[in-house]
Amino acid sequence: MRRVVLFVLLFLGSYQVLLNAQDFKVFDRTVQFHGFASQGFIYTSDNNWLTMGTASGSGAMTDMGANASMAVTDKLRIGAQVYDRNLGQLGQWHPTLDWAYADYRFTDWFGIRAGKVKTVSGLYNDTQDMDFLHTFALLPQGVYPTVLRELTIAHKGGDIYGHIALPRNAGSLMYTAFAGERDDSKYGGYFYLEQTPPPVLVLNSISALQYGGDLRWNTPVKGLLVGVSRFSESNQGDGVFNAGAGFTPYTQSSRADWANQYFGQYIRNKFEFDAEYRRSWIDELIYSGAQEVQTNANAWYVAGSYRFFRWMQVGAYYSDLNVDAPVNPGGPTSGYIHDKDVTVRFDANRYLNFKLEGHFMDGVGVPGVYPGGFFGADNPNGLQPKTNAVVLKTNFNF
Amino acid sequence: MRSPKLFMLTCVLMLGGAAFAQGVKVIANSSVQATSISASDLKSVYLEEKSSLTGSGHVEPVLAKGGPAHEAFLKHVLGRSDSDLQMYYRSLVFTGRGSMPKTLDSDEAVVAYVAKTRGAIGYVSLAADVEGVRTLDLAEGGSRKLIARIEPDYPAMLRERGIGGTVRMSVVIAPSGNVKEVKLRGGDAALGEAAVAAVRKWKYAPANSETETEVSISFEPQH
Repeated sequence: MRRVVLFVLLFLGSYQVLLNAQDFKVFDRTVQFHGFASQGFIYTSDNNWLTMGTASGSGAMTDMGANASMAVTDKLRIGAQVYDRNLGQLGQWHPTLDWAYADYRFTDWFGIRAGKVKTVSGLYNDTQDMDFLHTFALLPQGVYPTVLRELTIAHKGGDIYGHIALPRNAGSLMYTAFAGERDDSKYGGYFYLEQTPPPVLVLNSISALQYGGDLRWNTPVKGLLVGVSRFSESNQGDGVFNAGAGFTPYTQSSRADWANQYFGQYIRNKFEFDAEYRRSWIDELIYSGAQEVQTNANAWYVAGSYRFFRWMQVGAYYSDLNVDAPVNPGGPTSGYIHDKDVTVRFDANRYLNFKLEGHFMDGVGVPGVYPGGFFGADNPNGLQPKTNAVVLKTNFNF
Repeated sequence: MRSPKLFMLTCVLMLGGAAFAQGVKVIANSSVQATSISASDLKSVYLEEKSSLTGSGHVEPVLAKGGPAHEAFLKHVLGRSDSDLQMYYRSLVFTGRGSMPKTLDSDEAVVAYVAKTRGAIGYVSLAADVEGVRTLDLAEGGSRKLIARIEPDYPAMLRERGIGGTVRMSVVIAPSGNVKEVKLRGGDAALGEAAVAAVRKWKYAPANSETETEVSISFEPQH
């Protein structure tokens, strides 16, 4: 909490300086500098959510970042961003390199990015942790689970990408293909999900090779975008587990792990409508190949928002997550979360905003397999079937 | 006597004046060779989906901070609110895929910056003094500026018989500005043959991609 107060005071004190110092010259090239900080509070009627103690109210929802970027030539850009967060039991103030890469754009239809690159998948995968870019404080968790942010947010590798204007007024296509790897932080959601209290399983590392692509079409209908994404990965993990006779080596690996995502967006002046559907399939071997776990998850949402005034925007969404775990030894085999959300966003100016959001959730998913925000470790007395949540969040960015 | 020439000229003037009727002038640095730009290409430049124009090399968008020209540009070209546009640019900045465009307070500041910055494209109000910069014609949808036209030969036999009418065609224009394909959509077949033969020789302004447009030519026999 002390860190939060200190950071807020630092930002408020340097507010005007930061607003005026967003770019400066280095060797006659402009370097842009930007940053953000957000603070949230959640109270839930039942069940602790998102690894926070929300049933009694929790402000353990802070994140911040800063980046610098520069156009070295007309075709070459470089930049980097650092990110830090504390979300309940996750993050715990261990800053990470969020992205850092060189981007060379040969032509409008072909470019290359290399380094640690944010992953383009669906409408919001690469910006899911920056709520100031969205109407909502929390995106639909079935499609963009914030507790599992690290699994999909970025990859160390490269992209090819491009923008192709189509003939005969057919709009344009944008494509991205990526490949790389990820190494999970011990303070990330996957570690939290996999480790079982009391210490039965202790993971040392989790990593994955990732590849996939995204194709979107700016249609001839003004403001209408549709697209499809594919995300595949091969997970590897190691650690130790205790079956009662002392710790022995543990490994886990993917047999199949992929997701297909279909999306559409319509923006017309002050109105926006989004819809996405995500189907994922995970088949992995755990306990050094002794057990297999399969998870089939279908998630979708429809969302709409309207900016009534320059300083106020109202939005709502309905999201649906259905999880089937046909092979889950000793665990539940199905679950769901239906979430109705309504949000009001207030923009004091271009840099500062506040959000008031309500979630009305039915179901808890399949904790331990595909969390959807609910963990057994955070709810030792068991999970109630319904959860209502109030979310307050503020963000400063420049 | 009304002539096809007058009718065609009227169509061209109506289409080419779209940008002016919308309340903005699109301006560019002298390094930008294009004389016109389609609304879709201009939108792509401002959304940083495109960073070059055919024959003009690298281009960079310049924003106005507010005002009637800015509001008109948001509404008629980008189809987004200012808040939404700012969030879009921030999504590029905070994922490393782009940068915040230069944003200036007044028409004078926009003109001055565009004049001195290679590849810069901006927009100002209709009344703005644009000395030192180029003005680009903004073509709505698939319309392109017609820069050279051939008059169709009115078949003598049809004219003597008092046979006239309007011929409608769809025209596919190559990026170079040459007419690639003409299809007759309506009107007398013989008049259509003459109209198609003429339109095939028309020349439009270059663009970044192939476009399609509708053209109508009226033939009125002499009384």
